[in-house]
Amino acid sequence: MSKKVQSLILGLMCFILTIGVFVQVKTVNNNGTTISTNQNEAQLRDQVLKMKEKYENSYDKLQKAQKELEKVRTGVTSNNEELKELEKKIKEANMLLGMTDVKGEGVTITVEDGVATSKTLSKVDLIVHNVDILNIVNELKNSGAEAIEVNNQRIVGTTSIVCDGNVITVNGEKISSPFTITAIGMPELMTTLDRAGGYLELLREDNLKATLTKSKKINIQKYTGIMAFKYAKTIS
Amino acid sequence: MKKGKKSLAITIGITFFILVMIMFMQFKMVFQTDITSIETMREEELQEQLASWKKKYEETEAQSQEITETLNKYKEESSSDSQTKENLEEELNNLNLMLGTTDVQGKGIIITLKETENTEEPIKADELMVIVNYLKDAGAEAISINGQRIINSTYFSYINNSYVRINGQRLTSPFEIKVIGEPDYLKSSLIGNGGYVEKITSWGQEINFEEKKKIEIPKYNDEISTKYMKEK
Repeated sequence: MSKKVQSLILGLMCFILTIGVFVQVKTVNNNGTTISTNQNEAQLRDQVLKMKEKYENSYDKLQKAQKELEKVRTGVTSNNEELKELEKKIKEANMLLGMTDVKGEGVTITVEDGVATSKTLSKVDLIVHNVDILNIVNELKNSGAEAIEVNNQRIVGTTSIVCDGNVITVNGEKISSPFTITAIGMPELMTTLDRAGGYLELLREDNLKATLTKSKKINIQKYTGIMAFKYAKTIS
Repeated sequence: MKKGKKSLAITIGITFFILVMIMFMQFKMVFQTDITSIETMREEELQEQLASWKKKYEETEAQSQEITETLNKYKEESSSDSQTKENLEEELNNLNLMLGTTDVQGKGIIITLKETENTEEPIKADELMVIVNYLKDAGAEAISINGQRIINSTYFSYINNSYVRINGQRLTSPFEIKVIGEPDYLKSSLIGNGGYVEKITSWGQEINFEEKKKIEIPKYNDEISTKYMKEK
């Protein structure tokens, strides 16, 4: 072996080692932050619980204030027909916005992830997607639904139904299969979803579970989030 | 001297061998500690939850305060009917603003979506529905498509495989979608890696975004009527 070849091999080995060390230093650097995590986590969990409680107390307070406002409003308008009319309009607008609990006849739809069989090609096909829920809500509106709720989340003007990993988010709240969609409106019109060629049949053809039942008495909860506009102002 | 060279080479060789072994051991350890990234994820999730509860708390507090202010107004000026009327109208106007029954203005974006010669997939109702859903998720406060205000009861349908119908009106490409809200949020809900805009362009459609300091969006033109829903 000549000296040249020897030093060449040595140099090459040094080079590889140096690269190896650098790669390691980088990986270790990236990982460094995880060491203190476990202590933080317990603290964080505590903070989350405290903040949740704070919110719940605040929400109770808000509901009480809303009830009082209604009472006071009725009081100050009771002696004047014109004011009474305005008070009625406020109540109506609140109901249309989804800010009140409502009841009436309608339908209940359930949609559920499918079960894999030997024929199933891909598991993704057996999952209810946010677009499926979006389509059902759209079809219900098309059939004249006046109030709609998905797994206890009221559908209001600002509601979005989005995919968030393996769950669906409605009004920012996570929900998952099975999905129960209730709607108030004319039952005969809304059953079109379940007719031959209707949207629910399409879902069943895709091996998902989907059913619709008519009901004389449906209860739908009010929207529990806060609707307050920051950017849009009425042009007077 | 020759013997010394040989032992030197052996020493170097052994040293390298040991070094490489140590490196491998370390690699393995680093790989194992990678599992703790789940821990980090859990922390991230907790942070997210904390932020979400905090936001809800702050929104609720702000709303409470607003209601208390309205309450005080009613209580203070209950002697004067004209003042009460003003207060009632203010409340009603705010509700109508959120219902979509007033003309509104504010900052936001204008999206133009159109079919071109290269369009393989025409713009259908469900595409507009999905876009509107993304925009709402990004906090859109008012949306109109070709002058039609999108309200809660608005639905999207595709008629005879040829045109979109919104609020009973026939709409065709090009579509002008006006949105009031925070422009950056609104845009990033559609643009970006894996965003819906990628799909839209892959169908050969053209989409453009324009940020505006002031956008005007017309009110919903019909009456919103209900028949089956009763207050509980």
